[in-house]
Amino acid sequence: MIVKRLLLFIPLVLVLFLLQSYFWVPTYENQAAGNPNRLVTYIEGSSGDAKILNPALNADSASSSIVSQVFEGLLDLDENLDLRGRLATDWEITERAYLLVNPYHRFPDGTEVTGAALFHHIQKAWKTGTDEGLKNYVQSLELLPSTQREETIPLLLPNAEGKPQLKDIQVKVRVPARVAFTLSQVDQDLFDRLKPILGEQYFDHFPFDEMIRYPKEIGKEAEEALREKFPEILPVGEHNPTIVFYLRKGVNFQDGHEFDAGDVKFTYEAIMNPKNLSPRTPDFEPIKTVEILDPYRVKIIYKRLYSPAINAWTMGILPEHLLNAAAINREKQERNLSEEAQKTFGMRDSQFNRHPIGSGRFQFVEWQGDEFIHLKRFDDYWEGPAQYQDYYMRIIPELFTQEVEFRTGAIDYYSAQPHQVDRYKNDPRYQWFSSLGFAYTYIGYNNRKPLFADGDIRKALGMAINVGEIIQYLMYGEGERTTGPYPKNTEWYDPAIQPLPYDPEGAQAIFQQHGWHVNGDGWLEKNGKIFEFNLITNNGNPIRKNLMTIAQNAWKKIGVKVNTQVFEWAVFLGDFVNTGDFDAVVLGWSMGIDPDLYQIWHSSQAGPQQLNFVGYKSQRADELIVRIRQEYNRDRQRELTHELHRLIHEDQPYTFLYAPLSTRVLDKKIVLVNEADDGEEDYQKIYPIKSGDITYHFHKWRKLEFTPDF
Amino acid sequence: MNEPKTSALSQATTMSLDPEAMAPPETPWQEFLRIFKKDYQALFGFWVLMILLVTALAGKALTEWWVVFDPEVVRLTDKFLPPFSIPSSDSLSIDRPFGGVYFMGTDELGRDVFARMFQGSFVSLSIGFVAVGISLGIGILLGGLAGFYGHVKLGFITIDTLIMRFTDAMMCFPTFFLILTAVALLPPSIYTIMIIIGLFSWMGTTRFVRAEFLSIRELDYVTAAKALGIPEARIIFRHMVPNALAPVFVSATIGVASAILTESGLSFLGFGVPPPDATWGNILSDGKGFIFDAPWLFFIPGMAIFIVVLAFNLVGEGLREALNPKLRSR
Amino acid sequence: MWNFILRNIGQRLILLIIVSFVAHSFIHLAPGEPSEVDPMNPRMKPEDIAKIRAAFHLDDPLHVQYAYWIRDLASGELKSFKDSQPVLPKIWDRFLNSLPLFILATILVWTWAFPAGIYGAVFRGGAYDRGTVFLSYALISVPGFFLSYLAILWVVGWFGVPVISIKTFGMEHAEPAYKVMDRVWHLVIPSVMAAIGGIAVLSRYVRSQMLEVLSQDYVRTARAKGLEEDTVIYGHALGNALLPFVTMFGLLLPGLIGGSVIFEQIFAWPGLGRLAYEAILSRDFPVIMTLNFIAAVLTLAGTLLSDILYAVVDPRIRLH
Repeated sequence: MIVKRLLLFIPLVLVLFLLQSYFWVPTYENQAAGNPNRLVTYIEGSSGDAKILNPALNADSASSSIVSQVFEGLLDLDENLDLRGRLATDWEITERAYLLVNPYHRFPDGTEVTGAALFHHIQKAWKTGTDEGLKNYVQSLELLPSTQREETIPLLLPNAEGKPQLKDIQVKVRVPARVAFTLSQVDQDLFDRLKPILGEQYFDHFPFDEMIRYPKEIGKEAEEALREKFPEILPVGEHNPTIVFYLRKGVNFQDGHEFDAGDVKFTYEAIMNPKNLSPRTPDFEPIKTVEILDPYRVKIIYKRLYSPAINAWTMGILPEHLLNAAAINREKQERNLSEEAQKTFGMRDSQFNRHPIGSGRFQFVEWQGDEFIHLKRFDDYWEGPAQYQDYYMRIIPELFTQEVEFRTGAIDYYSAQPHQVDRYKNDPRYQWFSSLGFAYTYIGYNNRKPLFADGDIRKALGMAINVGEIIQYLMYGEGERTTGPYPKNTEWYDPAIQPLPYDPEGAQAIFQQHGWHVNGDGWLEKNGKIFEFNLITNNGNPIRKNLMTIAQNAWKKIGVKVNTQVFEWAVFLGDFVNTGDFDAVVLGWSMGIDPDLYQIWHSSQAGPQQLNFVGYKSQRADELIVRIRQEYNRDRQRELTHELHRLIHEDQPYTFLYAPLSTRVLDKKIVLVNEADDGEEDYQKIYPIKSGDITYHFHKWRKLEFTPDF
Repeated sequence: MNEPKTSALSQATTMSLDPEAMAPPETPWQEFLRIFKKDYQALFGFWVLMILLVTALAGKALTEWWVVFDPEVVRLTDKFLPPFSIPSSDSLSIDRPFGGVYFMGTDELGRDVFARMFQGSFVSLSIGFVAVGISLGIGILLGGLAGFYGHVKLGFITIDTLIMRFTDAMMCFPTFFLILTAVALLPPSIYTIMIIIGLFSWMGTTRFVRAEFLSIRELDYVTAAKALGIPEARIIFRHMVPNALAPVFVSATIGVASAILTESGLSFLGFGVPPPDATWGNILSDGKGFIFDAPWLFFIPGMAIFIVVLAFNLVGEGLREALNPKLRSR
Repeated sequence: MWNFILRNIGQRLILLIIVSFVAHSFIHLAPGEPSEVDPMNPRMKPEDIAKIRAAFHLDDPLHVQYAYWIRDLASGELKSFKDSQPVLPKIWDRFLNSLPLFILATILVWTWAFPAGIYGAVFRGGAYDRGTVFLSYALISVPGFFLSYLAILWVVGWFGVPVISIKTFGMEHAEPAYKVMDRVWHLVIPSVMAAIGGIAVLSRYVRSQMLEVLSQDYVRTARAKGLEEDTVIYGHALGNALLPFVTMFGLLLPGLIGGSVIFEQIFAWPGLGRLAYEAILSRDFPVIMTLNFIAAVLTLAGTLLSDILYAVVDPRIRLH
């Protein structure tokens, strides 16, 4: 029967056909060796795909790692975490400050405050006074006449359903006469220095109502919100820190167009354009204006004192000629969109975000969604081309398959898990790096809850946990004890502060002092209630899950009953962290380089959706936080941060556990290649810089045909 | 297929009026047992399930009510010990596992894998049973309604159309994807997972309960019962449901197996039963990260799931064979 | 006939709208926000979040959001929250990636299940039958990812060839024949993994259908006529046993989207399942909604197709 034969024959042929394909496939052996191109190709594995390849719009780590190769900022951080010029060669920071005439005030001698009198008093103090700061920093004074301006103020108001919504309010502002200062450096105490001359209360009462006019029909709630903003709209004493960037000449974008000051200004405007929904607006919001002085000089004027603001300029600069209104319009026409879509079409929708062009070391070639992103080196890069010719980011979601690909040589870089340390550290084929990053892991207590309101109780809970053992066994030694809110490898961290001891008996003694005693079942009890709470964390992070179990177990031993729960990230944030509806969380922070902790620790940031979700409140900490972000002098800043660190350590709003080391493995054949001017090559072992990053010298990396000895 | 019966009957007629001989040679139950007992695979599966059931109950009792095996003790110094290891000497005596040996080794926190598997057996099984219970409940109810009252009109639409269109609507989505979406979007707990697996897997049951009811409704004995004026509820529950139950029972057995597998798939994607409840699925999915470092953490739960699911499937197959009159061996 | 088809299409359209609205409400009412609204940027201010929410229409009433979605879907200008790229081309790309996997898995299922099931029925109760029953149940009883991990370890460990992703990396400059065969090889393991469950289930089904047909009177008659056993089985019985399977072609369609999340995740396959999974994780509502919608359309089209096919092949059924 033909049917019978077919039924047997077809599946067998199919299987044979499938199996023979094996003989056409190169083995890993052939892929990794015997292919000269492989030595100048770098392949990285990533568990998630990039979202959007535009430095002004991306926020995820996969996109950032591609974007940082394709685009370049004005500045970056060098090996010692100091700012270094990239597209800018140099920059200088000065200040312009303004002091308004406060007509309701009298000078200490009783005379009326007018423009001329104010100017005269200040000039006298500057020229003949005893204040060193005033004398040294102020370069010139000027009296400006009264002016008028109009402004649009965005207000966040609850709508009919109680959800916050943005509303723009037009206001008219009459600016009285004012004295303008030009300072050689930023001085946050300038107005305090003037107080002896002006009188202590000069800044306390100012007739805002006479100066600011707004439409009457905006409603009561809007009026209240607006009035709160008056001191921001018209500050009596205003600091305008100013940065002038000197740009590098002769730098080209990857399409050959030259980079100049216009691109800097455009990048700022693109981020601030509300249509683009840039996640970076908060970094650039303190900027008042960006002025082009000439094609190679830009002047950035800030609205207020905010020292970390300069770090924003490490962000990649966009090419204006490809994304400005004309270019976007052209794309709109070509894409043939409906009228509705044309209206909302902006930079966010542009195809540029999938085919980016920047001025960085690598240029974009191809992106296959969830498969790979391919870059090749940019040969006209101003500092000379990189060693690697191609750069691939392969997207491999499972760590297991990533590891399989790494071990077979199909990926060059693997960020190992702590438990894999033993296996790779001693493997002669690989080089191993472990270095401190900017992250730390903690248990945060909801300080608002009566159970955790007392700092001693939080301390006792921390003392019950054996962090040394956690680092040794859970992290395999790939972690360091940390004691406070700053990354350990920055100067803001005070290494003199000692961590909490591991002392369960001591912890129990503290509980006893606070009236908790162990009941018949072994739980701590007070007034008939046992010490019981929920500890939660997000899923997808096995180490946090394990930490939770360890903490639960450790607390059980001193009689604290803990229930643990794991939630999906969005739910975890939405239902618990953002609403403040939790007892304790296991979480980690990944910090930036700047010392500003306003969002995480200032008491004004403890509302719903805000990052001080543990509700930490300390007046001294608030003062320090504000002073730190307004201080432009690094030495003074360091003293302040050390004080803040000590304060937070003493209050223990979190139990600070450890700073994980980032652990990475590379093929040993990959080295740093230093090329001398005469073309001679010299190899050097790859090393992590102070930030823990090993890719700082990535442009010098190359894979050798042999394994070098260092 | 009717040969044994007919021959028995003809014998009975030719023989005397002995009341014993008047009865059929074997009741359906006896017949079922005879066929089932001959099926060695199903029998094997059956005994595995019996052992599992005992294990699960013992697991619940010995890890929670009367703690002999404590799955929650963390002993960081004893982490990643292979099966049949002895605890290191510096661990506290109260922390030692029962019997002084880690039968199945320890995990990344030094917890006793045997105790965890033991506890997990109850949780995994209860996920299977509760989920299937829910899906059967909904399936039988909707299927029965559609099958028996299908012709009744509610306004312009019959109950049958309403229910079956709803069933179609539920079937519109790939089941695993739907369960994944729901589990990912809702707060996780063991109950969420049981309920969601149950809520999204009743459609098959509904369809064939309806089909079964439709065909039974037309059978002579039902018509006879109606003619005798027996109340409808009694007809349904006393006469129709038992006859429609055989296939339901088969699908329930296989349903438990697939619920256990679904749970392990969800665990793999990180949406399984959250700790502290240990299930075989989440022990397996936690173990997958240690496949090179501590392979037993991956293989022990994997094999356990495999054996149990296989046992359920084989029993299901055995039941199907034994209960399906058309397929009985001649 | 046409009347029947038209009425069915109408019914299904109504169903589709209800289903999509329910799915829409469920997704929007579930806890959690799109990840663009909640990026872990410590400096994100409430004003910025309000701005993003407004742009995504997240604060509008549900039915208004639904209307926006329908409008954008219909005009083909629906944009993903994640990267503002049009959703439909995105799905189409992934569909093209998933398609070969789906087709090969389907072919494997259908070519293997029939012989396995038929022989099982013919040699009922024999060693072959019991062996295949056991084997097929064993294969569907292993958690899919467990088996996949074992397969990867084994193939990579013993043969040293890549099995992950849709093609070997760095094959851009190879001969076309090598490229094609390389792609075929990468299909083998994931599609076998995806097909195993299907083979087991379908072969059991084929077997029982076949048994049912073999016990029919006409088969007995054919045998009594003295026809050769092969002719009886493959000539007379098989055709009738196959009838119900024609209808299953229609029901295959929706498997395209949901069936393979786990396998695509393990094998780093850039297909639809992973797109959906990532979209769920980041609450990319337009993508989730559209995929759900397409799944529903495919299923409804599939059931319609199977109803029609059934009527076409089985003369006992009349369409009315």
